[in-house]
Amino acid sequence: MALRQQPLDSIIQVVTPENIAFEYRLAGPFRRLPALLIDFALMAVIQTILGIVFVLSFGFVSMGLAIALGTVTGFFIKWFYGGFFETFLNGQTPGKMACGLRVLTDRGQPIDGLQAVLRNILRTADLFLGVVGLAVMTMNRRYQRLGDLVCGTIVVVEDRQWLTGVAKLDDPRCIQLAAYLPPNFVVGRTLAKALATYVERRRFFSVPRRREVAKYLAEPLLEKFGLPGDTSYDLLLCALYYRTFIADRSQDERLLAEAQAVYAQANPLAHLMQPNQPYPNQPNFNPQYPYGPPAPGPAAPPPLPQEQMAGAGSFGQGR
Amino acid sequence: MKVVDLLERRRQNWQELERYCDQLQGASSAPKLPPASMSRFGALYRAACADLALAHAYQLPQNTVQYLHRLVGRAHNQLYRSRRFEFKKWGDMLLYDVPQRVFNDRCVQLMFVVFWGLFILAAWLAYSKAAWPDFAEQVISPEQISAMEENFKSPIDGSQRSGDDNTVMASFYLDHNSSIGLQCFAWGLLVVPGMLVSMYNAIFLGACFGYMARPEVFDGPGGNFFHFVTAHGPFELTAIVLSAGSGLRLGLSWMMPGDLTRYDNLRKTGREMMPVMGAALVMFFMAALIEGFLSPSAAWYSVKATVAIVSSGLLAFYFLVLGFPRRLL
Repeated sequence: MALRQQPLDSIIQVVTPENIAFEYRLAGPFRRLPALLIDFALMAVIQTILGIVFVLSFGFVSMGLAIALGTVTGFFIKWFYGGFFETFLNGQTPGKMACGLRVLTDRGQPIDGLQAVLRNILRTADLFLGVVGLAVMTMNRRYQRLGDLVCGTIVVVEDRQWLTGVAKLDDPRCIQLAAYLPPNFVVGRTLAKALATYVERRRFFSVPRRREVAKYLAEPLLEKFGLPGDTSYDLLLCALYYRTFIADRSQDERLLAEAQAVYAQANPLAHLMQPNQPYPNQPNFNPQYPYGPPAPGPAAPPPLPQEQMAGAGSFGQGR
Repeated sequence: MKVVDLLERRRQNWQELERYCDQLQGASSAPKLPPASMSRFGALYRAACADLALAHAYQLPQNTVQYLHRLVGRAHNQLYRSRRFEFKKWGDMLLYDVPQRVFNDRCVQLMFVVFWGLFILAAWLAYSKAAWPDFAEQVISPEQISAMEENFKSPIDGSQRSGDDNTVMASFYLDHNSSIGLQCFAWGLLVVPGMLVSMYNAIFLGACFGYMARPEVFDGPGGNFFHFVTAHGPFELTAIVLSAGSGLRLGLSWMMPGDLTRYDNLRKTGREMMPVMGAALVMFFMAALIEGFLSPSAAWYSVKATVAIVSSGLLAFYFLVLGFPRRLL
């Protein structure tokens, strides 16, 4: 498969010896600057501490020796701090470690000592007039400064991400609605991706926004499934997500019971407040968190707030 | 199989891999895990790679795919680690590669000609009072001239210097001169600043030498000046030429890339020129030691001159004999 061009994204693909293409996010100038400042501060601190140590130890024998040692270590810290750490800490300096950055070759391999030293020596050229490195970074796709260009290295973000798994659907109604989806409907790859993207992000949206986003996918689907046109779009996508990612028909009853138990625990007074009115017509009614338990039994999907029907949209759905 | 079940099965593996990554992250030099864990780490990494490769087929949700990309990236970086300095190769590089490269390098030769040409020209202009009467005063400001004369007022007999002073001055020269060399090298990448700095250095040094050689100055501070600079001169001036020349080569590599792309040529040249800069650094260190300890000492002038001749001979041997193209032998 040809590599996708991602001109607007700071992502590069790396093909490992295991023949897997995985992605790295490149670090831009504003992510790298704090790391650089931390390193500069650390260099100053190390130099000061070493200076004090030398004066206190060798200083009693000969002050000249202490000053000389301080000057020589100062020279090495000034020019070889980055090279040393990037070689022995696997492409990271303490500042980069703090900011979650790492230096790699432009093919995603670890760098070697020569590259580490050279790219740090050439920082002098990047800091020429203060802007040369920044200007060069903006002129290539991989945010390489001059030192990076000469050594063929890139700086990537190496943050950890928490495993989120599948999205939690805390509304029992979507399990119920899932029972009404045609069993022979196969969710294709692109549709599955769209569903996952929507459901994982929907908790950040307000209710009208959910309806607006879900409309384009849900309207044609409702038509196809023969469900009432006023079914909540959001709920339909959740039900489809549930069917695709979470459970088959055989597990529905068990999961529904669990979901209802959880729901009842979360809202203990819900059924007292609205005994026989599953969907109160309050003006600020929230279909995702209704104030009553869902209608029991095999009733048709509950009537949901009317939604404005636009023209039937088309969507690419491979059957 | 539904995604939930799949995730439930794999979750343990992924989290175990994450724990190994955390442990290895702290390990600075040699990884500290026992061998069994290391091989387990490899197996888990391969499994995560396989999961990522099959993410499309499994229809994993986007968040999980993102997570897998990060996880595989982290594990990849812990598995493939940076290669260290290959100290064994350094000898080979310094004694074989560098002289061979320098012998044939037009940039170093050009820099040699430019540096010494300007040096001699400036020296002559500063020496002769007819050609450009106040050249020396224009290049070196009068205050600097008087400071220099003050410095070299008394003969070099080691009386003003204690051992402590020598050590301090040696370290100062090491820091100062090597930094100038590294700066010439790095700025050479930008071509114009590198050339300007080297040319300025050549003219300034040449003017100093020329001024000090004037008959009326030579009797006083001038003689002491030459007494001082003789011993360490060859190493220091060669090192400056070498670092400026290799910097110029770096700069020209992206200006005139030849058959390669600019980026490729730059990378190739950087790899080649770093050892040359390393050789220049070694010369700077030797020059600093001589300048700190021998030059200000009370040793006879003949000793210092011998050191200069021997070091010039060594440099000639290094660049001409070791550098002579092997295929022509």
